[in-house]
Amino acid sequence: MRRSSSSNRLTLWLAAALLAGLAIGFAVHAAGRADLVVDDAGLMSPVERDRLAEYHDYLLKDHDIDYRVETGRDLGDINTFAVRRFEDFAETGRSERGRGLLLVVDAKQNLVRLEVSYALEGVFPDAFVAYIEQRQMTYFFGRDRVADGILAATELIITRAQRAAEATGFEGEVWTFGSGGAGATTSARLGTGAEPVEPRNDGGNHAAASPTPQETLAAYFAAMGARDGDPDLALYTPATREMLRDWVMTPAQMDNVVRSYGACHAEAPRLGPQGRHAVIRYPIAERACAPWFFEKIDGAWHLDLTMMQKAIRFGRSNAWRLDSAARHPYAFAFDDWSFDAHGFPQRRRP
Amino acid sequence: MEASAEERIARMERDGTITSGQAAMLRASLGSTSAPDGEDAGPRARGHRHWLPWSLLTLVVLVVVVALASLGSGTDAVQDVTQTLNQPGGHGEMNRTLSALLAVALLLVVPLLLWVWLHNGLVAKEERVFEAWAQTESNFQRRADLIPALVDTVSRYLKHESETLTAVTEARAAVLEKLAGLSESLIRGQKEAAEILRQGDADVIEDEATLARLYRAQAEVGRGMNGLFAVAEDYPELRASDQFLELQAQIEGTENRINVARMRFNDAVRDYNATMRQLPWNLVAALGSFQRKAYFRSEEEARNAPELEFK
Repeated sequence: MRRSSSSNRLTLWLAAALLAGLAIGFAVHAAGRADLVVDDAGLMSPVERDRLAEYHDYLLKDHDIDYRVETGRDLGDINTFAVRRFEDFAETGRSERGRGLLLVVDAKQNLVRLEVSYALEGVFPDAFVAYIEQRQMTYFFGRDRVADGILAATELIITRAQRAAEATGFEGEVWTFGSGGAGATTSARLGTGAEPVEPRNDGGNHAAASPTPQETLAAYFAAMGARDGDPDLALYTPATREMLRDWVMTPAQMDNVVRSYGACHAEAPRLGPQGRHAVIRYPIAERACAPWFFEKIDGAWHLDLTMMQKAIRFGRSNAWRLDSAARHPYAFAFDDWSFDAHGFPQRRRP
Repeated sequence: MEASAEERIARMERDGTITSGQAAMLRASLGSTSAPDGEDAGPRARGHRHWLPWSLLTLVVLVVVVALASLGSGTDAVQDVTQTLNQPGGHGEMNRTLSALLAVALLLVVPLLLWVWLHNGLVAKEERVFEAWAQTESNFQRRADLIPALVDTVSRYLKHESETLTAVTEARAAVLEKLAGLSESLIRGQKEAAEILRQGDADVIEDEATLARLYRAQAEVGRGMNGLFAVAEDYPELRASDQFLELQAQIEGTENRINVARMRFNDAVRDYNATMRQLPWNLVAALGSFQRKAYFRSEEEARNAPELEFK
């Protein structure tokens, strides 16, 4: 009896110690994440801050890039502030290979700067940083969607880091954590409203829906190449046009569509049972090449971005997956594939 | 494929955007900031030259001390240890010799070691100054290599614009005249900066007047570039082009790197100069002929700088 009671007590102690350990571990992890986003200017909601911190935490785990965000008001010379901040991080930098990024937003001066560490200068040159700031991030900032703008730019950062890892020996290089002033500063355009993108040449004015899905897709790529973000292009379905009116369509997003799909190998279109829907998909191995959905209206194939928005999600490494909970009329196109628990496609075993 | 700086200079000379003299100046500024072979190693090697005689002297003293110690205690005969046993309250002959030699050794060696330590500390700080300067120089070179691209891009666009859009001859002439003035100022500043940087590192960073002259030349380059960017502001199509965005980002990034390198150079100079003025480093600095380094700053910054450099 006594023996059993002491055994119970021991079990209780062990359970309490385990819980305390878990609590401490969680607190340490949460505190570490909290450093990733410091929003002294109050430009983001707590939920957005957490979302950003979580995403940047993945960036550290997947690519060993310590990406931090700081906002403030009247930080003085933003370039000097960023470089000095980097010096402060020298002791606490979490990247093993000295890979650091620091995004500083000064709400009062309406400036944004992305500071790049020595280790990443070759991967993210100043021109690329200026490009993602001016052609992506600040389009969201203009609509007061600061967290979305940062996340949208992070997607481009990840894509570039992946390409660098594939193309060069970038993975093996180890640097000290510090910055020599690399990066770019630009006007943050906070709260300036939606800024229309000026299309190149005559844009996608001739981007009409076509008799085949391939032609419609080619016309869409041509419009994106011309940076025509017009939501009323004739090749969209009516629902898509409605949806795009509220979207932030940035030049970088349009460039990225063209660049990303340039390396994809499309399969022949798969038509639905009634001949009203079609899907152009790519081999499973081309994980970043998400399928395209089309709806036939008045004899011409229109791009259905609305359903794509519902059904297709992108993982941390820009690999696409299907949202199994989403209801859409395009499931027929994936009959010969199976999907894992997360929705990533796999070839069905015979 | 993007044109090289040399190709751009040749094209601008051919098109009459710049004169032959200006082209020669631009060519001279490309890849020219490194001193001629051999000179570059001067300041770094000098630290070792100081160190060499003192190291040899230390070595000689140590050898002499060890030799004396072995003479005092060495003998060919087998030692009769009973004679070396000390009587109560007495000291053995060998012990006294050794103690005296050790005392001499300590008196000579300890100050020498201290001197070596102080000297090395100062050499390390001087090295940091030269390293910081090398970083600043490499950023100047980076900027020098971008200047032909900037002048070429803006001038080609403006020429095209003025030929196709500007109906009024005077207005067209005024734009091109402004461009020529800015290019001239930019190239002149770049030429002077390149000439100064061709001198050895020590000649530049140990001379207040030379560094001030370099600052003025670099400021002129900066003004010329800002002027060209200001001209581009009037042409939204040029400003909005990806090619111009890329060039502007490269140039602004280089400017920022120069500022950061300048800041770090001045920090290193402040640290070095402050150490040189403190006891006992000032004695070592005087004996080792260490030179005070100049700050790389504007005259206004120099006027507002605090007099004392002690940390």
